[in-house]
Amino acid sequence: MKLSARQLCFFLAAVAPAGKLVLLPSQLAAKAGNDLLFPLAAHIVFEAALVFLVLLLARRERTVYAMIADMVGGAAAKAACILLAAFLLWASFVPLIEQKLLVQTLFYDTLPSYVAFAPFFLLAGYLCAKPLASMGRLWDILAPLFCVGLTGVLLFACGSADLGALAPVGGSGAAGFWRGLFGASSWFFDAALLLPLLGHFPYQKGLALRGALCYLAGGGAVVLFCALYFGVFQELAVSQPFAFSQMSKYFSGVAAMGRVDYIFIFSIAFVMLFYTAMPVQAAVDVVAEAFARPRALAPALSAACNAAAFAALLAFNFVPSETIALISVRLFWIFPAFSAGMLLVLYAAWAAGRRRRHAQ
Amino acid sequence: MRNNGWLRRMPKRLWAVLAALLLFTFLSNDFGLVDLQKTAIVLAAGIDRSEEGFSVTAQIAVPKGSDRTTGGTSSVELTGTGGTVADCFSAIYAQTGWLPKLVFCDLLLLGEDAARAGAFGALDYFLRDEYAPDSCTLAVCEGSASALLRTASAVDDASSLALETLFSDAAKKAGRIRTTTLREFCITSYGASACGYMPYVRITDPGRQSADGAAGGGNAGGKGGKQADAAKEAVFDASQTALFSHGKMTGLATAQETFAMSLVYDRVYGGSLAAGGATLTVLKNDGGVSFPRDPAPAVQFSVKLSLALADRSAPAPPTSLAAGTVPPETVDAAKAEVTAHLAALWARCVQADCDLFLFRRTLFRHDRALYAQWKDRPLEDLPAYFTIEAESLR
Amino acid sequence: MEYVSKDLTKTREALRALLPAQDILCTALTDGAGRQACCFFADAVTDKDLLGEQVLRPLLAYRGAAEGALLTAALPVPEVRVANALSVLAEEVLAGNPVLLLEGMAEGVIAGTKKVPARAVAEPPTDVATKGPREGFTEDVKTNTALVRKRLKTGELEIEFLTVGKRSRTAVAVCSLKGISAAGVKERIVQTLSAVSIDTVPDASFLARLLSDRKHALLKQLGTTEKPDIFCAKLAEGRVGVLTDGSPVALTAPYLVVEDLQSAEDYFVPAARATFTRLLRLFALLFAVYLPAFYVASQLYKLQLLPVKLALTIAGSIRDLPLSPSMEMLLVLLLLEILNEASIRMPKYVGMALSVVGALVLGETAVSAGFVSTPAIIIVALSGIGLYTVPNLIEQTSVLRLVMLLAAGSIGTYGILLLTALSLMRLLSAESFGVPVAAPFAPFVRQDLKDALLKSDLYALGMRPRCIGSPNKRRMK
Repeated sequence: MKLSARQLCFFLAAVAPAGKLVLLPSQLAAKAGNDLLFPLAAHIVFEAALVFLVLLLARRERTVYAMIADMVGGAAAKAACILLAAFLLWASFVPLIEQKLLVQTLFYDTLPSYVAFAPFFLLAGYLCAKPLASMGRLWDILAPLFCVGLTGVLLFACGSADLGALAPVGGSGAAGFWRGLFGASSWFFDAALLLPLLGHFPYQKGLALRGALCYLAGGGAVVLFCALYFGVFQELAVSQPFAFSQMSKYFSGVAAMGRVDYIFIFSIAFVMLFYTAMPVQAAVDVVAEAFARPRALAPALSAACNAAAFAALLAFNFVPSETIALISVRLFWIFPAFSAGMLLVLYAAWAAGRRRRHAQ
Repeated sequence: MRNNGWLRRMPKRLWAVLAALLLFTFLSNDFGLVDLQKTAIVLAAGIDRSEEGFSVTAQIAVPKGSDRTTGGTSSVELTGTGGTVADCFSAIYAQTGWLPKLVFCDLLLLGEDAARAGAFGALDYFLRDEYAPDSCTLAVCEGSASALLRTASAVDDASSLALETLFSDAAKKAGRIRTTTLREFCITSYGASACGYMPYVRITDPGRQSADGAAGGGNAGGKGGKQADAAKEAVFDASQTALFSHGKMTGLATAQETFAMSLVYDRVYGGSLAAGGATLTVLKNDGGVSFPRDPAPAVQFSVKLSLALADRSAPAPPTSLAAGTVPPETVDAAKAEVTAHLAALWARCVQADCDLFLFRRTLFRHDRALYAQWKDRPLEDLPAYFTIEAESLR
Repeated sequence: MEYVSKDLTKTREALRALLPAQDILCTALTDGAGRQACCFFADAVTDKDLLGEQVLRPLLAYRGAAEGALLTAALPVPEVRVANALSVLAEEVLAGNPVLLLEGMAEGVIAGTKKVPARAVAEPPTDVATKGPREGFTEDVKTNTALVRKRLKTGELEIEFLTVGKRSRTAVAVCSLKGISAAGVKERIVQTLSAVSIDTVPDASFLARLLSDRKHALLKQLGTTEKPDIFCAKLAEGRVGVLTDGSPVALTAPYLVVEDLQSAEDYFVPAARATFTRLLRLFALLFAVYLPAFYVASQLYKLQLLPVKLALTIAGSIRDLPLSPSMEMLLVLLLLEILNEASIRMPKYVGMALSVVGALVLGETAVSAGFVSTPAIIIVALSGIGLYTVPNLIEQTSVLRLVMLLAAGSIGTYGILLLTALSLMRLLSAESFGVPVAAPFAPFVRQDLKDALLKSDLYALGMRPRCIGSPNKRRMK
């Protein structure tokens, strides 16, 4: 099953932003204060550039494995794919923790058993056994759903937001900017998520630019969301980790009709379910493909990866803050370094392939 | 490809296991959670200082059963004491077996002692608890919060719901009450201005207060229902406003000062103003406060009013009854009245060191250098100017 | 294979051996030339008046040569043919067409005078229309093809007859419009049905299963209708239809889920009204599936889903109930299903009594006795009504509703969300004859949205639906 360019754009514009609405805003507020929008915008622009470069690679319509194998042979390509999968599994941890914390708060009135989150892995196991490229139709549905959800939340929240709280511009200084930039790194790996999709969609003229613009549009929505988030919570922003589920409840209609905003919140949470499973799905996909037996290998790999993720999550159950700090603060550099490094390798592979073709 | 028969058969087996698991969890019906039948729906919490630390009275809704021939909401008040608010709730849970669920808690009522000792000692729990809404209304009450919650109200069976009616939009529109939520209070209190306000609730006729308002102490004493036999039903008043500085209640604005505050901040429609021997209705207002920084920082209040004549103590010719226009001298008297109320409010804020009009926050946002100068400087150094314009309905 | 011989006695005995049943009669007679003849016919399914007037009377006067071609020319029956295989003749007799055998003739003459007892064309009970045509298919495939032909008077309408079922020998008509039907669909249907080896085909639903790719899927993969006008409209959109003898239900392929949210009436009322009713149906369907689940989830895990006053009302009504909220809802839901099942199967004269028992005794008394709460009854009643706004999906949605309830009772709203995600994945990966059933939403086909949930005006529907894949794109200029 092949993806279409439209489905890819839908993912970049309206599915990828779903992963940035839970812990990221409060993390940014904690690191960059009222200047939270600047590091966020910087990340979005950088990631959009990476998305552009990844989509440009799609012109060859070859998979990551095939591209690297052309340059350095099958064994090394397999190793590279395993490395990419390891990175994606690492990247999956923050969304998984977010999902776990979100489930506890959003879906329950009292603290549930910590295994209440476990059924997610059944869905994830099912999803991961399917190739990432088969998600196109899903993105066709999720994109409008996310747009409706986010629009609803933003409309409900805008009345209680004081955008003046974003002043003074630059109040946190360069130090705040860098802290925010580093602290938010672990939420930006969308370009790497696209790598397993290479070779599974036909390249159309201008797709790279369109994809990057779609990512920027989605990022713009996240920036607007964060601006309103800070406007609503201001000094309390650092202590509001489930931003999108909290912002809309101050709308006056909510008092009269009950929590009607849950319609929008659940829409976003629904999209988030799929986004959370995506890094693991991408990891399974890239390994299964490297070993050229996707159908046979994917279910077993999916079960193994999800079981490992679940076990790791249980192990870190009581130290979520420490875990997030480890991933997003101490080892933040892994994300930009890997995304850019992998792209360099792929472009080198591309150049080598071109040279070889010219020589022939 | 190798024959992966077991893999092909896996989905069916997996589905069977999943179905069994789902049925098991459904029938066991326990995910460490508490359902509605074992839950205490807390409508309001009253927090007082006690010898142990805190005393929390939770007003819990009592379902009326399927026979709903009568209106209103029955409630029961349970009190728990402990070193912290969390301890108090635990005490209630331990004594009754009802888990207090705060998701519907729409009112946090602080006893005056608790408010003067520092609101955040009482509010910290509600900020930390993920399941407590920060959209609940905050209020301070005269005397004990527990006593007030236990008072039978003339408006609703549950005193908290009577207070909710009192805090309704209609009262706010009339400019008589200024309410705040936990989130709003925390934002201003944790902000550069470190101030806040809450409506101050009292029972208008103390004689009507229930005989034993403070009963139900101990670790978790319960007292079912109001003392309806002993007490006449009370009426609450919240026209005064408690002023907070650095989380502590430091002053109390009068009803007139509260009205003046509403004229500055809110859209008042139908609020009444007594001036020049007449009662005027505020049909429209446009208020604001600014802080001119040149040549020196000052606070500038400006209010524009459209007034109509509602009543006058002196007899008037019938021709003037239909018009409702306000005589110029009454308009002038109204301007003077509003100026006086605003000046009194400003003086009260200065006295309470309550930066109610967010002067320091404005400097923080727009002039960091000036903010550094005024951060710890008393507000009395700040001159206040009042521009009040008023016109009669034509 | 045995054939007709010129020796009449031998042929008669051989055919009798193939048709030993007592309702197969054999009449011996002599033709105008004095030759022995006989006529085999099935007693109950042959029109004996026609047989006497148009077959036997001319035979008694026939003096021509003993040749099938000549004899058929002498019979004034519009549908007549010859065959020499005894098995074919036996099949025709069983189908109600009498077979004539003549001494010295090595062929049997088949006269098309069958008279199968058939219901008159009537409005189908499951698809009632207040506006628009009211005709419905019957159990007779010939009548049904006639109803189709009546509406599509074009040479492009192709009807291919197949026989499916080793013992039922059920006639199946595969209908398509040449140059309009999606490529390959008809061929695939014919190929699949020809290859099927099954004893009997009592109903079209058997064929629907046989034609499905995913044999165990809950979601159907062929559309169904009982109305010829809808059937023809679907053919005109590029679909292929299957009519089955013995079933008033016609199948259409490829199938899109959105079809079931549409009704024939949508095309006979203003577009705005049609759009409104379609959205209403979707809302009612979602409401029906999710309402019991969310009700239980809110009580057990997430009270905030309810406004406070409603939560208090519910808390009041479930006080002192012996069952947990999830078990209570399951019980009431099962009760509804039982009542539903009983009301369909019960003789009509006790139907009224059942309504009284269901509504009053079980509902009112159960509440009074404190077995179940009033809100639970209301929720299930609303859900039950909502489900019937889309009757074609009732099998799927009622199962989904039950599973949603189990998920909600187990882990609450999160369970509902996870199950919805899983169901969505299954729905999106399902295809009907190569066409995704969730089209035009996934994959997104903008042009087809004009007649999906929203209904555009007739002038805007100039093109056939793209997702069906008809080679002829335009239907109106």
